[in-house]
Amino acid sequence: MKKIILENTIPVVLKCNKNTPRYAVCFYLKIEEEEKKAGLYSVLNKLFLQGTKKRDDEQLVKELDENAIDCYSEMKYDFIRLKLQCLNEDIEKGLEILSDIIKNSTLEKFDKEVLKLKGEISAELDEPKAKALDSFYRNIYKDHPYGNSDSKIAEEIDNLTKQDVEEAYKKLLNESSKVISVVGDFEEEKIIGLLKKYFGDIPNNPDAVCKLSVPELKENQVIKITKDDASQAQIIQGWHVPSLYDKDYPAIMVMNTLLGSSGLSSRLFLELRDKKGLAYVVRSGYETKEKSALFNVYIATEPKNIKTSLDGFKVELDKIKNIPVTKEELESAKNNLIGKRQFFTETNLQQSSLMAFYEDKGLGADFEEKLTNMIKEVTIEDIQRVANLCFNGPYVLTILAPEKYLKEI
Amino acid sequence: MKNIIKKDIQYPFLTRPIEIYERENGHKIVLAHKEGGLVNISSWVKTGSINENDENNGISHFLEHLMFKGTHKHKAGYFDRTLEGKGAIVNAATWKDYTFYYVTLPQGPDGAYFKEAIELHADMMLDPVIPEEEIGPAFKLGDDNVAQKRERHVVIEEIRMRQDQPWTKIYNSTNHNMYTNHPYKRDVIGFPETIASIPRETILNYYRTHYTPNNITTILVGDFDHEAVLKKVCEKFDFKGRENYQNPQHTLDTPVQSAKLIELKGKINTGFVITGWLGPVAKDIKENIGLEIIDVILGDGQSSRLYQNLIAKQNDPVFNIVGTDFYNFKDGGNFFIEANFKADKKDEALKQINEEMDKILAGDITEDELKKAKKKLKAEFAHNAEKVSEIADNIGFYMTVCEDLSLVEKYLEELENYTLDDVNNTAKKYLQHNNSVTTVLLPE
Repeated sequence: MKKIILENTIPVVLKCNKNTPRYAVCFYLKIEEEEKKAGLYSVLNKLFLQGTKKRDDEQLVKELDENAIDCYSEMKYDFIRLKLQCLNEDIEKGLEILSDIIKNSTLEKFDKEVLKLKGEISAELDEPKAKALDSFYRNIYKDHPYGNSDSKIAEEIDNLTKQDVEEAYKKLLNESSKVISVVGDFEEEKIIGLLKKYFGDIPNNPDAVCKLSVPELKENQVIKITKDDASQAQIIQGWHVPSLYDKDYPAIMVMNTLLGSSGLSSRLFLELRDKKGLAYVVRSGYETKEKSALFNVYIATEPKNIKTSLDGFKVELDKIKNIPVTKEELESAKNNLIGKRQFFTETNLQQSSLMAFYEDKGLGADFEEKLTNMIKEVTIEDIQRVANLCFNGPYVLTILAPEKYLKEI
Repeated sequence: MKNIIKKDIQYPFLTRPIEIYERENGHKIVLAHKEGGLVNISSWVKTGSINENDENNGISHFLEHLMFKGTHKHKAGYFDRTLEGKGAIVNAATWKDYTFYYVTLPQGPDGAYFKEAIELHADMMLDPVIPEEEIGPAFKLGDDNVAQKRERHVVIEEIRMRQDQPWTKIYNSTNHNMYTNHPYKRDVIGFPETIASIPRETILNYYRTHYTPNNITTILVGDFDHEAVLKKVCEKFDFKGRENYQNPQHTLDTPVQSAKLIELKGKINTGFVITGWLGPVAKDIKENIGLEIIDVILGDGQSSRLYQNLIAKQNDPVFNIVGTDFYNFKDGGNFFIEANFKADKKDEALKQINEEMDKILAGDITEDELKKAKKKLKAEFAHNAEKVSEIADNIGFYMTVCEDLSLVEKYLEELENYTLDDVNNTAKKYLQHNNSVTTVLLPE
């Protein structure tokens, strides 16, 4: 891995992987300010692929597809990232199109994208699981941009104007901090030359910081969503917990693995699925953002099992808070987590994406190595301590089910 | 190694040829080289819903769950705990033509984790106990007094999960109505009533019948010593003289002769539609390529015709989502158009889809579109060569569904030589309106 700084101060992280047929490139733009209106960055994100000064929307997607170039944009509240993947022979074409999108998007299709987004959201929310998760995020991050879920965007997007999006784009392009990462089978000099050519004139502000506020959750909330034809109840319970800058980040990751994300051998899987037959899907999750993180437990179960499932969650959470995990279990969870990180960094795109993410967060593109060592250092006491830290605070519990089962909760 | 037949296959975007070994008993072993620290071991069994009937529908998938419930050597949980404790991703999947089990994990010091994975995987494949207490007692659906809720309930929850998914609901309806007799008409997961009551002995018999050497391909992908690994796999996959079984042959049904439309209702706010057609047998590479090309042109991504004509170029589009899918199956694939639309615009939505299909049938695909499709399908191979698990999945597909990995060598050549006439002929042969089955799901 190598890091260089372009003359315009944009950091570039490079990793050469020999004998790989496709390049992967990530371009990060840090979001500094809270979106004033729900859906602002979501719409901007979608507009990145809807035409530039050089190519209208149809030409753009046609040119990408004709060259088998995968290019898409993702909005993750703290940043927008554009990802590019192409056969080695097409890298220059890919970089040229990517730079055109970043520098010259016209946003002309604003009205159309708003219309499309509303339609896509209504289709998405016809899935009970999506509907339950939407409500969960909206409530656990209430009054914060992280809580601008699909349903909130659909309700408020008519307030958004093209001018709002134009201003946000201008600010992002001219004033935000940026990071580029490239992974592939390249000659270093040649790829650096191309990056200078296509991205060397983009303004960068290396001192830009994320000014989003820290979301707060003051009291427990139980959200019930009625869906009378649901075959399964959807249950999600979550807490605000420390995020990736915190010293407890690795310990919470290990706890998550042990409790509900190691696959077929986690505690929730063994106790609620294997032994009690309550569910096909039961898991825990740890989702980090710049200013906050969530720990959540999820189960989908026959509606008459809601209480048994909640009791099951409580037993497992109490257990991890009150009884030290065994040494064997801890080592297993650590090895699972470390081993699986290889799986999640197998492809050029996965590596490029993670390197740019860490660089954008100020942790350094090589943070993965440091993180592995930090995971190895996690102790039995750490797990018990972070369990109490995470699960003693207020929570949001969302349950979607037929009305008659919700009445009993 | 004696009595073993070796064949090399040139696989696109891999740095070395793939080696296929066929043992005297019919068990096939495939070794593929991929640089990096991860390895994948999987075994693909030639059984799925293709071998089921109305009485045992869902048994292949239920057995897949129960294969993880211990062997005579290791109790339930040992396999998952041991391998996941080494960073493994462990799982399995069942589909119409196959069931496969896989482990992806870091090699470990001197390949120690890989060796252990081979041992445990072989043990699981060859010696499952399927204990009664893990299956759980048979019960009558709706009985709330079942004391031991075990794997039967887990699979029933999986069925419930699928019942709540609008796309799955209309896929199943379209799929079922596309066939008259072929076992492909059944949903792979089966019905809760069957899963609640099927006896252990029936499941064991099903295992003994179908998990035979000639029906299993074991695939290993990663950077390892081929000779040593081959030796180890042969040693650990000791079938102890297990008798082989030849799957019965099925003839694919004739497609419906006049377009069929099914309407379903649900508590939803938008409309969902899937239209399906029957396609060619999987090993007919040429005709499959034709439908893959049409899949790209018609419904893959934002430059596709359906997206451009029905969403991008419409001022007030009827559709929220529109695309296509093509599945290859041994006895004949399926081509689908899938869309979500504004609930009060059903007739307009179906009309617009039909108009797009009419254009394809009239032969208006251009050379530029063909060129784009070829490039995208070529790049798909590059994509599939990036992960050990994806390489294994592709090999498993060719070995099990097409029953011939050498087709992979011919694929790119056939693709390159494909002409517009070929595409037009394939479209006319398989995608006629009269031969289509459509299901729409609308708000109540």
